[in-house]
Amino acid sequence: MDMTTTFQAMTQAVVDGDRDKAAGLARDVLARGGDPQEAIENGFIPGIQKVGVLWESGEYFLPELLASAEAMKAAMAVLRPALETGRAAALSLGKVVLGTIEGDIHDIGKNLVAALLSANGFEVVDLGADVKIERFISAAEESGAAIIGLSALLTTTMLGQRRLLEELKSRGIREKYKVLVGGAPVTRKWADDIGADGYGENALAAVQAAKALTGRR
Amino acid sequence: MSPRLILLPEGREIPCSEGESLGEALTRAGIPISLYCGGRGACGKCLVEVASGPVPEIDGRERRILEFRGLPESTRLACRLRVRDDLSIRIPPSSLVPSMPILVAGKQRPFAFNPALKKIAFGLRTAGPPSAGEVISVLRSLWPELETGSAADLPCLPEAPLHPSGEHVFTAVVYDDRELLDFEAGDTSARIFGLAIDLGTTTLVVELVDLSSGRSLGTAAGLNGQASFGADVVSRISAAFGNPGRLEELRAAVIRSLNELVRDLLGRQEVAPSEVVDAVLAGNTAMNHMFLGVSVDGLAVAPFEGAYLDHPALAARETGLVMNPRGRVSLVPNIGSFVGGDITAGLIAGGLEELTGRRLFIDLGTNGEIALKNGERFAATSTAAGPAFEGMTLSCGMLALPGAVYKASAGRDGQLDVETVGGLPPKGICGTGLIDLLAEALAAGKVTTGGQVVDKSRRLPVAQGVSLTQQDVRELQLAAAAVKTGIRMILEDEGLTVADLDEILVAGAFGTSLNSENAMKIGLLPRLEAGKLTVIGNASLAGARAFLLSRSERRRGESLARRVRHVALAKGGDFQSKFIEALEFKEWT
Repeated sequence: MDMTTTFQAMTQAVVDGDRDKAAGLARDVLARGGDPQEAIENGFIPGIQKVGVLWESGEYFLPELLASAEAMKAAMAVLRPALETGRAAALSLGKVVLGTIEGDIHDIGKNLVAALLSANGFEVVDLGADVKIERFISAAEESGAAIIGLSALLTTTMLGQRRLLEELKSRGIREKYKVLVGGAPVTRKWADDIGADGYGENALAAVQAAKALTGRR
Repeated sequence: MSPRLILLPEGREIPCSEGESLGEALTRAGIPISLYCGGRGACGKCLVEVASGPVPEIDGRERRILEFRGLPESTRLACRLRVRDDLSIRIPPSSLVPSMPILVAGKQRPFAFNPALKKIAFGLRTAGPPSAGEVISVLRSLWPELETGSAADLPCLPEAPLHPSGEHVFTAVVYDDRELLDFEAGDTSARIFGLAIDLGTTTLVVELVDLSSGRSLGTAAGLNGQASFGADVVSRISAAFGNPGRLEELRAAVIRSLNELVRDLLGRQEVAPSEVVDAVLAGNTAMNHMFLGVSVDGLAVAPFEGAYLDHPALAARETGLVMNPRGRVSLVPNIGSFVGGDITAGLIAGGLEELTGRRLFIDLGTNGEIALKNGERFAATSTAAGPAFEGMTLSCGMLALPGAVYKASAGRDGQLDVETVGGLPPKGICGTGLIDLLAEALAAGKVTTGGQVVDKSRRLPVAQGVSLTQQDVRELQLAAAAVKTGIRMILEDEGLTVADLDEILVAGAFGTSLNSENAMKIGLLPRLEAGKLTVIGNASLAGARAFLLSRSERRRGESLARRVRHVALAKGGDFQSKFIEALEFKEWT
């Protein structure tokens, strides 16, 4: 298989959400002494981008999106350790602390964002659902995250997003983090009103916003 | 030796013991004699005719009623007549309790007619207009346990014209056989009505019921005016969260919508609001809170606890409903924060308590609630199905009103045959139509099992100006997956599988027009053997009606609501993977 065909197969494995195939192709590259970075950039990343297009057009829905994210994650798990330390760091888009806010137990949307962020090269610290403001901040401080992502599925719990921003300000660490908000009731206007740095209307938009925040668009 | 009691015209012998009341003997023999006032000799609804035998001794109360109605002494009250000698009697049909079918469609279960609100007419002979004290003392003699409260609480005594019998006649409105609510002039006992109300998030249905006969006089349905604050329960809760002014607006909106329906019904049936003395509402927990203007803040954030599950009945004037302000309004008790009184009502209507075996009850509304009866145990949960099943939020969605496509099937030529409510030209699509259309589109390969509309236009034409979009299919996909996941998880929680079920009862505002075969084809409901799936229509309304007509059904419902175990789905760890898997449109078991 020439490289173009291999890259195309990688792209297709992600588009098809075929986890085993994606991981297998990644292992093949390493066994043949290929360049993991090239495989990521020319093989797998075009796959997840294509998935984004299919989602936008309505062709893909939640199951396909999740399966593709899983396939991407499986390939990355094989390739990332093989990258030289410097290059791995260069390829990582940064750390994101992510969770559904206190009082809210809905987490499917948040999990989707977590999966797509990892698939796109972010390192994700997923705090789960019903997460206290304090916990978001301490996890961000401990992990050295660049982004804090807050999901809220209820207009009632959405108010917690504002509280987190206020808390960061009162501690004088607001500038240390980019704050990304999302969830069904959250709008661009709300994000602007509370002074969030980024907003994602859906999981893929959240990834785009995260990339923009880290200057990696 | 016991006297011989013969029931004519059949000549059937009724066992009885000497000195026993005729009413008791008949009741024991299974004859549904109307003991409306509880055998107090106050209502005169248990009249029987003594055909032969010595006419037994008559007591004061009986005499009063017979004189009042101008009846001969051979006509007697079964509740007061003591059987001492051999006796033959005839019972006119008007003295028998009608058997109440609990559901208009689906299975019917009879229950005893014994409404909580009653009207008892009585007369008294006084020189001038009687004083309140005189009226109360007569009423007390008829009904010793009646709580009349202090003089200040007493309803005003109306002026009663003199009855031909020479008596001043009044009618007392009594609640739960113990509380005096009102007096009316003259004998108005035949004019007593109640409202059974399905307090839906999307749709409201009001039924007018004659509480003297148990007959339904008609229904009216319409949109819940709260819709302008949000389509689903969560958005309504959010609107009212921490905002008493908005909560009041929500309360006023639903009362306004209900009153429109009530006025329409009363107008059609020529019933005055003052004649409506009882209303029973079945709604979800949030709707029940908002109807009373009670804060929903507890329902807004985890751990999701409302202000109450079971609210005591209240005076109609406190609610703003168009009816007698002294009448009573009750809410069917809730089971949990997201399993409301509508489900309690549905379980009562479906007769789930008496049925044996393992049965699943599903209410397909904006909240898809699921209750499981497993032997003696009850568990219930709710899933956020969204308003798709009520036809809302779809690009061409509408309620099941005239012009709504409610049935669809592929004809021989492969063309789509659609049926609309009222046979009008198609205007939109309601919930049952949506299910049929999707089943046909799947069969024709126009939609993939993943929910993708194959045609590049991403549209499925239905009729002139009516179509389904990709987004509509996604809405149904999410709604069906929520219900499917709920079914799987509640069964798992009780250690059961679909194969263990004896029956699935499907209720919903869509009535009985759900095509259950199509519901199974798209995977909304599991594939069951023929005969194991029963579509019972609007069980919430039927349950409210049962509460209205029968104190024993009311008590049964109240105790049932406390017995059902509330299962929170979101706490189950693998909800997500089950939900994602459930998004596929395919049959399952």
